Amino acid sequence: MLTCKALVAHSSDFLDGQLGLRQRLSVRAHLAMCRHCRLFIRQMRLGQAVVRTLPEGRSAELDVLAARLAESRHKPH
Amino acid sequence: MVYPADAQLLARLLAGEQNAFRELVVTYQSAMRAVAFAIVGSRNADEVVQDAWLAVVRNLEGFQGRSSLKTWLLTITANTAKTRLKHNRREVLLDDLPGPHGSVDDERFAADGHWLLAPHAWHQDTPEALLTEQELRECLEKTLGSLSELQGSVLVLRERQGLELEEICNLLDVSLSNVRVLLHRARLKVFATLEHFEETGQC
Repeated sequence: MLTCKALVAHSSDFLDGQLGLRQRLSVRAHLAMCRHCRLFIRQMRLGQAVVRTLPEGRSAELDVLAARLAESRHKPH
Repeated sequence: MVYPADAQLLARLLAGEQNAFRELVVTYQSAMRAVAFAIVGSRNADEVVQDAWLAVVRNLEGFQGRSSLKTWLLTITANTAKTRLKHNRREVLLDDLPGPHGSVDDERFAADGHWLLAPHAWHQDTPEALLTEQELRECLEKTLGSLSELQGSVLVLRERQGLELEEICNLLDVSLSNVRVLLHRARLKVFATLEHFEETGQC
């Protein structure tokens, strides 16, 4: 029987689909019974979504770079 | 070409359309930086990315569309970075620097492996709601900044750029098991920061 501690240790592999069938089933069986771990997995997913959603400053640098690259296409190499 | 959106952008790039270059740079710069960061470290990353962009522009005609444009760009970036390293190739650093709010460590569990300090429900349950807090955004930036270059890059490439683990392994020359470890540790630190903020209301 998987412990909560082991579930946490396997949580990323579970989220990334990196577990084999047997391990995946034992994670699912544990989650079915343990609300703490269900919450933990939900919060890990939320953490993933937060990292994905975190705004990124768009710098003026990129515009300069784009202009330079476009420019270099027009010049003979 | 298998990727229609790429084909369209490529045509505009080949025509030298200024806006197409802007689109290209804005879309892929962060992913390229993450790859360069992981391989050569922060000091040389910017230079590698610049060189990679120049190589990309020089070789636009050679892009066959057998992979996605993104994979092609990241491969060029990784190759540019690796050439730069040449013989003084770094050891793969699996160093786990401490995060500002720790991780989910052994103290959270009883001897029998059950939670001692179980997670609590958070006030917000969508990323948008969480990120409306300016202080939390800054707090997360701090946590992400505390990750080692490799760990941070792996997290960015997986969560923000949506790369498959195998792609990350190939680009960075890191084994799958190491990528899994790096990613897991990074996620636990993000989790710890969110949890800390939700519990205390401060960073």
